[in-house]
Amino acid sequence: MKYKTKKAQMRMMETIGVMFIFFVLILFGIIFYTKYSEVAFQEKQAEKMGKKAVEITSKTIFLPELICSRGEAEPELYCLDLLKVKQAQKTFKNNFGDYYFDLFPFTKITVSEIYPGNESWVLYNKPKKVKLANGTLVGSKQKESTHFLLTLKDSVKGKEKQGEYKFGMLTVEVFS
Amino acid sequence: MNSKGQIELIGLVIIVILATLGILFMAKFSLVEDTTKKVIAREFLASSAMGALMKTSALCEHQDYYGNFIKEPLFIQNELLEDCALYKNTNSEYQCNNLHSCDFLNKTIGALLNKTLGKGKLNKRYEFKSYLLQNQNEIELIYLIDEGGRGCRKKDTDSSGAFPLPTNAGQVISILKLCD
Repeated sequence: MKYKTKKAQMRMMETIGVMFIFFVLILFGIIFYTKYSEVAFQEKQAEKMGKKAVEITSKTIFLPELICSRGEAEPELYCLDLLKVKQAQKTFKNNFGDYYFDLFPFTKITVSEIYPGNESWVLYNKPKKVKLANGTLVGSKQKESTHFLLTLKDSVKGKEKQGEYKFGMLTVEVFS
Repeated sequence: MNSKGQIELIGLVIIVILATLGILFMAKFSLVEDTTKKVIAREFLASSAMGALMKTSALCEHQDYYGNFIKEPLFIQNELLEDCALYKNTNSEYQCNNLHSCDFLNKTIGALLNKTLGKGKLNKRYEFKSYLLQNQNEIELIYLIDEGGRGCRKKDTDSSGAFPLPTNAGQVISILKLCD
């Protein structure tokens, strides 16, 4: 009788052990899946923002308010007119609500001169505000940037009225 | 007794298989990196960098016909690169900062790429090459790689595509390769 009870106890322990391992495996599975879906969601968000940043960069470099043009001739690729860039800061600010927010929602657009000078111009800056649990508004830290190298044409300088082409960079930061 | 042992063994094997599958699944997702976004941004950067570089005018300090020192902007592709191709083995027409146009371009393009793509900026590895096609031979004019000196030889590389320039000496081809 005593031997039979011991055997039953051992069987019970065995079953409990198997069940324990089984549940541990399931727990691992759940933890892993949760972590994976979290990371996958963040990656998708980042990819979406990256695509948006590229899209906004393409819009910016072809914007008639900025692109190098001469009368009715074809506009020049990889080129922003420096005179237009300097004026655009004001234009973007004055017509922000009417027009430009639809084009560049929650974006910061910066044009920097790399060579020969090192000036930079913030053309547009609208960071996204996020509400914290205590009700305060702070700027969103989630952003994706794209960089585009281009020339900045200074029509005033250069020989034979061709203009001087400076080397510059366009940086577009999209907030989410 | 024998058949009970077999059943327990099968249970054990199933547990081992499940655990192995789990580990493999985990490894697959943690090792596969999502590169789509990176590739789009890098392609975009490579073509823009090359397009801009070729159009930029470099400030060249040289002597004019009267012997006076003047500083004037010269186009990298249409003036300096052409001059470099035409006078590769002799004195170049433009002697910017007392350098042969090929040496001046080497210095200027290197500085521009380092200032934008190099360490502390966009942190990209790159390889820039300009060569002259003459009688189906490639004559190297400019060859530059990133400061780390590793260049881009592996698979994960994007190219700006060839930027050709027809000259009297032959076709000059310029290419920029970018990698992370």
